[in-house]
Parts: sequence; C-alpha cells; structure tokens
Amino acid sequence: MKRAIPVLALSVAGLVPVWLYSPASGHEGEISEVAAPEAQQQTAPRSTQAAPKSTGAAPKTTQPRQQQTTQQQTTQQQAQNRSVSGPAVNTSEGTVQVQVVFQGTKIVDVKALRAPNSNPTRTALPLLRESALKAQSADIDTVSGATATSEGYKQSLQAALDGAR
Amino acid sequence: MSVRRVDHVMGLPISVDLRDGDAALAERAFAWLREADARFSPFKPGSEVSRLDRGELTGEELSPDLVEVLSLCDWYEQSTGGAFTARLPGRGLDPCAVVKGWAVQRAADVLREGGATSFCVNAGGDVVTAGEPEPGKPWRVGVRHPDLADRLSVVLGVRDGAVATSALYERGQHILDGRTGQPVTGLISVTVFSDDLAIADTTATAAFALGREGIGWAAAQEGCEVFIVDEDRRVHSSPGLPVHIC
Repeated sequence: MKRAIPVLALSVAGLVPVWLYSPASGHEGEISEVAAPEAQQQTAPRSTQAAPKSTGAAPKTTQPRQQQTTQQQTTQQQAQNRSVSGPAVNTSEGTVQVQVVFQGTKIVDVKALRAPNSNPTRTALPLLRESALKAQSADIDTVSGATATSEGYKQSLQAALDGAR
Repeated sequence: MSVRRVDHVMGLPISVDLRDGDAALAERAFAWLREADARFSPFKPGSEVSRLDRGELTGEELSPDLVEVLSLCDWYEQSTGGAFTARLPGRGLDPCAVVKGWAVQRAADVLREGGATSFCVNAGGDVVTAGEPEPGKPWRVGVRHPDLADRLSVVLGVRDGAVATSALYERGQHILDGRTGQPVTGLISVTVFSDDLAIADTTATAAFALGREGIGWAAAQEGCEVFIVDEDRRVHSSPGLPVHIC
C-alpha cells in the first residue's frame, strides 16, 4: 500500500497529457473493432468509460460532462470516492488541470478542472488509453520498460518504487 | 530477511528486491553481472567479445558461455531473416541485445541456487521474478506507457517468469533493421512475457527490429506472450498474456 502512494501521485500529474490525447472522430469504426477482445477485462465502473469517450466529442466546455459524471457517481458509489486535483500545467494547447477520482486505490474517473477551449487534433486510438487508464489503478511491484540511462532511471516509476529518489 | 538494492552494471540500473535472502546473496548476483559485463561487453577492449572480434581468439578458445550467447544471436538472426543481428554492417560484433537478458536470467539463477524463492530483479526495465511477494499474490509488473514515462499501459501478474520491453521512448533513439541498416519503423513498444528472460528480452528486441511483421512473429514464438503497441497506438495482445486484473 505504501508503494501505491508515489504511483497514485505520479498518475495524477501524468493524466494531464492523457487528457490532451483525443481520438480523431474518423477512427470510431476501428475503436470498436480493436476494443472487442478487451471486453472481458473491463472491471472498471461505467464512469471510467465516460472520460475518454467524451473527449472525442466536438470542442465544447467541460461543464456538461462534469455534471453528467457527477450524476452517475451519485447513484453508484459516491460515498467511497475521493478526488485528488493535480497541478495546473501549461501546455502548448493551453492550461490544463485534471482531477482524478479514486474509489479506494482505483481510478474511476478523470475530470478536467481547466481545459483548453479546443481539443488537440493528435490521433490516438483509445485502446491504449483505455488499457492505460485501467492499469493506473494497480498497486505494482516493478515496472517493465526500457530505462537505459541513469538520468532516465532517476525520473522513472521504478526509481520511485525502489525508493531511490 | 529481505534485501533491496540498486546498482548500475552494464550501463543499466539494476534493482534486486529479494524477499527471502540476505545481502551476501544479493552481492553474489551483482558480482556475476559485473563479471558478465567484463567478459562480454564490446566496449571493453579486454573482453572476450572484443578479443574474438579482433581475431585474437579462435572458435575452440571461446568459453561455453560465449558460445551459448553467440548461438542465441545466430538463432534469432536466422529466425528474423537478419532483421535482428549482432553484426550490423560496418560495425563490430555486438551481442549486447542477447547478453543483457541472458546475464540477468543467470543472476536470477544465482539467487535461486542460493536458496531464494521470492524475488524480483529489474535490469533497465527487463524483469525476472520468482515465487510471490506475498502468499497468494503474483508480482505485479507494470508495463511503462510508451508515451508517458510516469504511466502504465498494462499490468501483468507474474510468479516464476520474465517480462522484457523493447521500446522507443525518446526522439533520436533508434533501433536498426539488420536487413537494411535503416532505423526500424512500425512499432513503438514490444513487451514479451516468457519463463526465461534471455528468451523474453531477445524476442522483444528482434520483434522490434522486424517492425510490424514482428507482431505475428513474436506471438508465434514458443512460450512467449506479447503486448505490442504499434505506431497507430493500436494494442496487439496475445490471449495467454497474464494480465493482472486490478
């Protein structure tokens, strides 16, 4: 459980660039095609799915989405949820600040407290993002991924797990 | 008695999380890794690899360990049609892609032979595990998100096994296709699960060198399960991958 803390803290900050990822609407057909095999692994509450999906919509203010999410949580598990707000981060697309909703140690939703007026047009299939969103909720022992340099290591999750920074 | 230790060997940060062993046993594993580096690094002029490359050693004079490493190099070179190679044109012999996983797997064997039954060794992102960190729970191995250093793309639950990831995370990095000598395109992250890190690590590197055709090639390797992210951020995951359900 102790190790979950740096991971969760890093996750909140790390979700800012994820918020900036936005699937191009032209990829909707591919999304369902590639997402199908993952269906049996979907243990996250419905509200998790709301976050990535709605970012694909046309540019709009974030207010309606937050209301919608709040309604869902009220009926589902409001009492067990807690929210952690990340820092406001200046990006090339504007200032972004996200709030992550945890149910226990699981991330069940990501809300944008501050977001640029328009979504970036970078293309990203949401499968990686959906897989990634689910993975953030895990308490982990170690990290696999090329960490070839000492500088890269110092900034890595593995270093946090090793207590080396 | 448990030990956690991080050292830099072979140019890599190597973490040992030993749940049932002492510092002396951990040191034996690190001593082996330093020995492997001294013997098989192409960057050390006195290493066996450098001496072979300069023609100072004949085939009969090679150690059984180096023969094993070179035979692994040859097997993967043939299997990938030369996309994976320890002998890029115009460069010296460089078996690093095999040596790393092979040596770290051997370090895990040192821990096992010393009586350890529960440990996790992570060498620059390539992982070998034994047993369970707690009764009834697997080692939870997060796979780094290819775009975001502080996030994960999937979590695997592993008991006695190995997980290796070959990826391009930073601009300017590149892996060359041995068939063309050109930087590889098509994939951004290849993760392979196997029961042996020499296999997992080399399979991941070789699949990466193959580009998109590496997806099918790696998934077909005996005893290997894959999690591959292509350039379109599409995930290719084999059905036997031990995904940890959070």
